[in-house]
Amino acid sequence: MEDFFGLLGPILQSTVRNATPLVFAALGGLFSERSGVVNIGLEGLMLISAFAGVVGANLSGSAFIGLGTAVAAGLLFALIHALMTVTFEADQIISGTAINLLALGGTGFLMVAIFGSGGTSPRIEGFESVAIPVLSSIPLLGPALFDQSILVYLMYVLVPVVFFVVFHTPFGLRLRGTGEAPEAVDTAGVNVARMRYYGVGLSGVLAAFGGAYLSMGLLSAFTENMTAGRGFIALAALIFGRWNPIGAAGAALLFGFAQAVTYSVNEQAIPIEFIEMIPYVLTIIALAGLGGRAIAPAAIGKPYRKE
Amino acid sequence: MSEGRREQEGRDPLLRRILTGAAGALLFPLLAILLSFAIGAVIVLATGNNPVAAYVALFNGALGDPSAVGRTLLNATPLIFTGLAVAVAFRAGLFNIGGEGQLFIGAVTAAWLGVSLGFLGPLAIPVVLAACVITGFLWGSVPGMLKAYFGAHEVITTIMLNFVAINFAYYLAQNPLRQEGPIPGTETVDLAARIPAISFALGRANYGFFVALLAAVAVYLLLWRTRRGFEIRAVGLSPGAANYAGMRLGLNTILALAIGGSLAGLGGGVEVLGTYGNMDVPFVANLGFNGIGVALLGRNHPAGVVLGALLFGGLYAGAQEMQFATDVPLQLATVLLAIILLLVTATKLVEFIVGKRARALASGAGTRLERGLGS
Repeated sequence: MEDFFGLLGPILQSTVRNATPLVFAALGGLFSERSGVVNIGLEGLMLISAFAGVVGANLSGSAFIGLGTAVAAGLLFALIHALMTVTFEADQIISGTAINLLALGGTGFLMVAIFGSGGTSPRIEGFESVAIPVLSSIPLLGPALFDQSILVYLMYVLVPVVFFVVFHTPFGLRLRGTGEAPEAVDTAGVNVARMRYYGVGLSGVLAAFGGAYLSMGLLSAFTENMTAGRGFIALAALIFGRWNPIGAAGAALLFGFAQAVTYSVNEQAIPIEFIEMIPYVLTIIALAGLGGRAIAPAAIGKPYRKE
Repeated sequence: MSEGRREQEGRDPLLRRILTGAAGALLFPLLAILLSFAIGAVIVLATGNNPVAAYVALFNGALGDPSAVGRTLLNATPLIFTGLAVAVAFRAGLFNIGGEGQLFIGAVTAAWLGVSLGFLGPLAIPVVLAACVITGFLWGSVPGMLKAYFGAHEVITTIMLNFVAINFAYYLAQNPLRQEGPIPGTETVDLAARIPAISFALGRANYGFFVALLAAVAVYLLLWRTRRGFEIRAVGLSPGAANYAGMRLGLNTILALAIGGSLAGLGGGVEVLGTYGNMDVPFVANLGFNGIGVALLGRNHPAGVVLGALLFGGLYAGAQEMQFATDVPLQLATVLLAIILLLVTATKLVEFIVGKRARALASGAGTRLERGLGS
């Protein structure tokens, strides 16, 4: 039992760390999908931001400037997705796939062009853990929740903020309306295209925080394809969390916990590959409707053409 | 032909002739390719290199000599399979993003059976490939059934199933099928049971390419020469009408995704028996995702898929030569492909460039995709 508690602390801490990039990206996906634009490009948005953050931090020596360049890159790539899908009416799935490919190829290309070789970038000054006085000395939960990087604290704040914005502000109402019934909100005078640009743009900004946390919080360098499918796990968290910020954050924590358990307890009891399947299998189950079906915003995936 | 149409043709014969038929079908992809290369040239310039030199090296690396052609064929082979996997499902109005996982299922099947049936020599090849078709079919039918019986959207389920398949294949490759030694991966298939190379001059290009061509012909015959294919296309064009005509939507949905799975699975088998000889961990990535681009570029027609795969394969083959001959990183190829993919369904962009009439004639792929993901 003592052994269990000895392990539980690090497991909880790594749960929060695993979940943080997923929460950011899932919240980003939420804005995009609630506005009616599928965003399977979250993976690519995180990847390009992780890279841009390292480049910014490397050139400036400041992690905060790195965060700024990460957000700029995430926003830029998200706006490409918005331009193609909203303005040029390209297929959203195809555009998202292309964004992922563009980020993968683009970061590989720029690694060579900027740092001279592929693989891993030079180390940069990342975001160190900042222990919050008093709170961080709570047994067990203290170190897990309150001895983390500043980006983790930002994530705590963002979950309720996003919930409030989406469900309790006029902006959120318009955003959800755009994703559910674009004709109706258009009639009511809302600019559907603009709302979708906002939704997709916000997905880029939030996914960028997730990407920056990977390369500047968890690690202090960029490695090629370092997102390693996290964008898709975030998508899974979003769907499993029923397109709700609290639900998505809960799902991300669950997925993060599953990973943390394997990495620290694993004595070949369950092969790691099977643990890694958990988010995906749960999402499929949720979509298939066992335990209350997950239903996407009604107008998602369809370009809106003003009559 | 009605009077009205003839009159219209008389008014604008040249434009119509250019835009109808094959030329019309090629308009979208060609525009996407041209724009992508133009953007690529700007990127190359921005890195301080000469785009002409880079593209010349790219072309030489793809088609310049027999060994370059061999590399192009080698790269194109799996993409024909994954492109067909997307195209068949697409004809039924379904989006198969699961080619990646389906290919892994086929690959691990081939690595397992190829090793254990290696004693059969060349006889093992058809047996193993048939097994890949079957496992791919079964795996592909899963999202089909999830859609038909539970209404779960195939885009999300195929994405999720990719990761399930990849993890499952890696588990098998690293545990029951693991080879001796430090490199994670399966044992290697006996040389006698591998797909032979076409000729010495073409390097590693193997007869798997012809298997891929046969698969493309089979898909053509299935879709346009059989009753089942007619039903699949009818369901894709108009589910309501197909249902009214007595066609079973669920069955055709399952079959279209399962046939897609069997094609990608066969592709995985050919990769193992033809190109690699085993399944390493990590195994070659992104073949399934690139298949989406190949299918769209080929307008979901088997002949187009073959052309699209040759283009993608050639780009990847040429990129290595380009990096060697100039200072341009080979990842430029991936960037070019991403831009092509980004542009190829952008109906409004084409309208913007070539005008509304051209778009109306060439937008088959674009309009068909405009169905929601909500239901």
